[in-house]
Amino acid sequence: MAGAARGAEPSSTNIKEGPAVISVRFHGRGGQGAKTASRILGTAAFSEGFTAQDSPIYGAERRGAPVSAFTRIAKGPIRERGIIICPSLVVVADASLIGDPAARVIEGIDERTAVFVNSPLTGEQLHTRISLPGRLTTLDLTEVAVRELGKRSALSALLGAVAGRLVGLRSESIDHAVAQELADLGVDASIIQRNQTAARHCYEAVSLVPVETSVHRGPGPTPLRVPAYEPPTRGTARITAGPNSAIRSVSGWRTYRPVLRPDLCNGCWLCFANCPEGAITIKPDGKPAVYYPHCKGCLDCVEVCPTDAMTVERETDVTNK
Amino acid sequence: MVWEPRIFKDLHQIPRVEHVFPGTPLCAGCGGLESLRLAAKILGNRVVYVNAAGCFTNLASFPFTPLDASWLYTTMGSAPAGAQGVRDALDVLIAKGRLPKEEDVTVVVLGGDGSTYDMALSSTSGAITRHLDFYYFCYDNEAYGNTGVQLSPATPYGARTTTSPCAVLHPVGAMQEKKDIFEIWRAHNPPYIATVSPRFPLDLEEKFTRAAAYQGPKLFLGFAACPTGWLFDPAYTPDVARLAVECGFWPLKEAINGMVTHTYVPKLSPVENYLKLQGRFRHLFEPTLQKEAIAHIQGSVNAYWERVNLAERTG
Ligand SMILES: Cc1ncc(C[n+]2csc(CCOP(=O)(O)OP(=O)(O)O)c2C)c(N)n1
Ligand code: SF4
Repeated sequence: MAGAARGAEPSSTNIKEGPAVISVRFHGRGGQGAKTASRILGTAAFSEGFTAQDSPIYGAERRGAPVSAFTRIAKGPIRERGIIICPSLVVVADASLIGDPAARVIEGIDERTAVFVNSPLTGEQLHTRISLPGRLTTLDLTEVAVRELGKRSALSALLGAVAGRLVGLRSESIDHAVAQELADLGVDASIIQRNQTAARHCYEAVSLVPVETSVHRGPGPTPLRVPAYEPPTRGTARITAGPNSAIRSVSGWRTYRPVLRPDLCNGCWLCFANCPEGAITIKPDGKPAVYYPHCKGCLDCVEVCPTDAMTVERETDVTNK
Repeated sequence: MVWEPRIFKDLHQIPRVEHVFPGTPLCAGCGGLESLRLAAKILGNRVVYVNAAGCFTNLASFPFTPLDASWLYTTMGSAPAGAQGVRDALDVLIAKGRLPKEEDVTVVVLGGDGSTYDMALSSTSGAITRHLDFYYFCYDNEAYGNTGVQLSPATPYGARTTTSPCAVLHPVGAMQEKKDIFEIWRAHNPPYIATVSPRFPLDLEEKFTRAAAYQGPKLFLGFAACPTGWLFDPAYTPDVARLAVECGFWPLKEAINGMVTHTYVPKLSPVENYLKLQGRFRHLFEPTLQKEAIAHIQGSVNAYWERVNLAERTG
């Protein structure tokens, strides 16, 4: 937790006097910058005179696995601590996380929650594919990151800018916060500038939806449940049942997918030998095949293919995985 | 004398059977996972992995496992002691006739460089001295990876980690030399030691096959190109792993009963090509070119290969 503190005199619109807190929850995959985005938002709010608090949370899993981060902004002191259950705004760096129960994206979202999703689809298009009760807005940040920054996962400044715009912070504060947070991470001055330009673009481009301050709308008290007795043979059967991790899909980790062009494949098996996941199998005709539910999109197979038969396609649709 | 593979000469000989299954929580493009996957194709599934805390502990995180073998989790300092316990128990059961000999299993310690080079060294030394019959597979990502990439004794000179940052007082990052764990093992005189790289799969499969003939402690040091800790795009794992070998930084070799053979003759391309691919060395190139630091790394690589050439000429 970066801790709560007070900055200069407040200026912005959305954030009211009193105990009302704007709480923003970021969801990303490790490496996409959700944590830094939450810091950028907190720092920008702080520089406008608000009280701000930010903290990340991630499990034992690694790059590519779900990460969330939390920023709280208020005029007065912030008494809440820890994770945000009922957010004012949810910022989703990767649409594939929405369907992943482990990411807990939909937790605490109701009709009044603003939800931003990094997606090439519009809010309405997304609504038809996934049912989310909140006020949806989207922008294709990955496309901006690839075009302006040359890196698919360089989303932190862009996410921070979008969140800042939605909660009503000034463009200059975001600019300053991007510079400060990226410099803290040792990012080059020239790359920081490109991030600022890209962030300004996203700040302008995102369609607005109302973001409401929330006086903690927490869930009611949880009734105590006494679990029924289960014989010990039930709970632990699976762990002894062999390689069950294969029932998990890791499709959602991908930003790009490798696609084989069988006509160019010479059957050398380099991709099969170099796939860290074991997601490439060999078909009876001796040619490889990518099994997508097991492919994390590292693209090592594309890199080793001597005939360029492995090509790259960007993942766009959240439902086709 | 040129080293010749006896079995693995063509990629199509790589077994298609998998013993490390997909769906793991490890990073996309993890070079260590790739080495393990290839190794397990030879080790098979009649194995007990004795794991020391590290990235790979996440492999078997309840209720999922990618392995069709068994797993025992130990503390960072005690995996070889854990292996001793497992081996002894199996031996006792077999001696008492309670376990048929053909149901015996191979004991494999699976640890990162933090445990292998550092925390578990005394436990390892004890196990080798007792001539414990086990494999030790170290995936070397040159840092304490699981806890956020801190300096380990395997971190090479010039690499930036979170505890050896590039700073005003020490602009090169890590100032230590990588500990030579291969030679530390060799001084204990075990029957088999080898280095392997996931980008040289035939060399890897060949070595695991050869090692099976030896009873006693067998070490494998796997080059674990680590996109997360070394700061490169996961797509470049094969390139980083290949260049490490080609520039002479990661020699592919084996030592059978102490006799060292280099199993691949690298082109010895400039180390710059290797360093430049990785964010952990970027401070050596910009904002100012740290010529001396780069020359230092090149110098250590050159000195290593001069020693190798001299040793091979004099037999
Ligand atoms: C005695 C002890 N100290 C610290 C830790 C915390 N810890 C868990 S994993 C880990 C990093 C291990 O590094 P390494 O062995 O290099 O494996 P990697 O994480 O890189 O795979 C540490 C320090 C621990 N489990 N036990
Ligand atoms: S941090 Fe590195 S070694 Fe650890 S799982 Fe990720 S890529 Fe592999």
